[in-house]
Amino acid sequence: MNHDIDIKKVRINCFRQSKVAGEFMLQLRVPGALIQAKHLSMVEEVCEKWGNGTFHIGTRQTLNIPGIKYENIDEVNKFIRGYIEEVDIQTCDVDMESTDAGYPTIGARNIMSCIGNAHCIKGNVNTYQLARKIEKLIFPSHYHIKIAVAGCPNDCVKANFNDFGIMGINKQVYDIDRCIGCGACAEACEHHATGVLTLNENGKIDKDTCCCVGCGECSLICPTGAWTRGKTLYRVTLGGRTGKQNPRSGKLFLNWVTEEVLLGMFANWHKFSAWALDYKPEYLHGGHLIDRVGYKEFVKHIFEGVEFNPEAKMADDIYWQENEQRGNMHVMPLSQHKHAGPQSSAN
Amino acid sequence: MGYVISFEEANKIFADLQDEYEIWAPKRFVGMGRYSDTDLIKYDKVSTVEEIEYMDKSDFPAKEVLTPISESMFYFTEDEFIESKATNKKLLIFMRPCDIHAQHHQERIYLQNGGYADMYYKRMNEKVKIVMMECTVGWDTCYCISMGANKTEDYSMAVRFEDGQLRMDVKDEVFAPYFEEKEEISFQPEYVEKNQLTLDIPEIPNKEVLTKLKNHPMWQEYNKRCISCGACTIACSTCTCFTTTDIIYNENSNVGERKRTSASCQIKGFSDMAGGMSFRNTAGDRMRYKVLHKFHDYKERFKDYHMCVGCGRCIDRCPEFISIVAAVNKMSKAVDEIVAEENK
Repeated sequence: MNHDIDIKKVRINCFRQSKVAGEFMLQLRVPGALIQAKHLSMVEEVCEKWGNGTFHIGTRQTLNIPGIKYENIDEVNKFIRGYIEEVDIQTCDVDMESTDAGYPTIGARNIMSCIGNAHCIKGNVNTYQLARKIEKLIFPSHYHIKIAVAGCPNDCVKANFNDFGIMGINKQVYDIDRCIGCGACAEACEHHATGVLTLNENGKIDKDTCCCVGCGECSLICPTGAWTRGKTLYRVTLGGRTGKQNPRSGKLFLNWVTEEVLLGMFANWHKFSAWALDYKPEYLHGGHLIDRVGYKEFVKHIFEGVEFNPEAKMADDIYWQENEQRGNMHVMPLSQHKHAGPQSSAN
Repeated sequence: MGYVISFEEANKIFADLQDEYEIWAPKRFVGMGRYSDTDLIKYDKVSTVEEIEYMDKSDFPAKEVLTPISESMFYFTEDEFIESKATNKKLLIFMRPCDIHAQHHQERIYLQNGGYADMYYKRMNEKVKIVMMECTVGWDTCYCISMGANKTEDYSMAVRFEDGQLRMDVKDEVFAPYFEEKEEISFQPEYVEKNQLTLDIPEIPNKEVLTKLKNHPMWQEYNKRCISCGACTIACSTCTCFTTTDIIYNENSNVGERKRTSASCQIKGFSDMAGGMSFRNTAGDRMRYKVLHKFHDYKERFKDYHMCVGCGRCIDRCPEFISIVAAVNKMSKAVDEIVAEENK
């Protein structure tokens, strides 16, 4: 076999190096994690013809095909041309040429989504449609960014651990004349969400608007349609990540913003990243760029020319709390744990 | 007399009618459904034909026009009260045959039950003229035929919605002048002749069987399935239960307003009494009460028909996929079992 392989070049082409020398795993993008089922037979064919016959569901919702030999990469790239063209160029309207060379970059990562309101009763938004719109704005770019779209603040897709974690929310609307004072919304809010609703002595509902997360549990349970979903909006967490060094969950960044604000922001991502990295792409995800630049500076760049909707809120500052894998301050052998309270003499 | 009129002509008639009438019809509210990006269809005032949702069944029944979910009865100060006012106009309501049948149930309970006529209902009911929306196919949750509510001639006008035009049967002479010089045709509305669902309502022969049915394990299924939200009764065409609340204005406890609000026997606390007594404490108990009330007790008392028109809205609105048809059919089976056991 060929022992002179430019691993980085192959990686940018979305083929990941294997521990088996000369083998690679292809990662096919699925922006929004929803495609026509017909593509699955194409994937199966690649797995069986060029891969090792197995298939892996990618952790970022890519379709992963392990065991592809280096010398077959060109052939595989030709074969997946139709898929890339249909999924990225046609469905997401991504601005790139259809070629036989496979994916042009690995930079902006696959945009993850839960199934959203295309299926889920809790979903507030169509997640895959939003993901496709964002894909158009961030791909293909050599600057790294991880984005996930959740249909509601339940965040089943764990958007919270992405550079940008988007959650669909609604400004719920209350029609006092349709309310029968059953209290089901207050109970549901207490049980599933933040407990911002109370049944008052007039048999109607009071709401602590401050802490409403816009999840829509009230609209779901309301027997009369007194609660309904108002404007579709989004909340966004920023700077979440996994990793060996300093993983952390994202912090609340934007609340009650429209899709226009979101898309306006992502349209600035490439420009911001290029500026932050002095126009030299590095294998560094978005959160690290924000760390380097500083939150306040980041905000200036990312919202350039973006007009906020009246309901929109944005973090004035963000104080991330990192889970320092290096520190291990509190993780120690049980024998070294400090004790409190009465101890048995045997200890 | 039958007429065919374009939507444009109909809208002109609507405009003329509105001097004297409020026109109420099912209307689609986009994005206001229970789930996101779904719609809600409920009754509202309309001024054009295009606003009327005639393709889909409304989520909520026509009864809301006469008895809104909450309404003010009177306003009180320390030593006097002022009654709320009803609308000055007459009411022209677009209804399907099932809703028209339901209207008779509503009238019975509000106007004839217990020798007392509810004046809040009466003052609205006197204003009503009905436009029957022809309904020939129905939906997969309808069982109007089982309830004998698929046909009615109790209407002032009947309408068939066609692409860009209406075929109308104008029976009530009051409305004839509005149709002068309109194209006359022969038109009689048609009705649903077949439902996908059929209901098998049991005859309960005696009190012993009834008692055994009440204690039958079939009701326990609903302890696990029913969440007691009451959506079925709010969506019900025939349910009439309400509760009254005095709302005190701010700091002056002697000034306020009495409101009445729809209530539901399915919601916990419905049967709470002064002193703390409470009945039907489980979802299964409440379901049993509702089913027996609608498909036994009511007819037992009034002798003519059951308290259901088969509109199926309770099935449509149940977030837990509980079907009243399945419940009644299970009840039938349970009664058969009990009777067979007795005859052994």
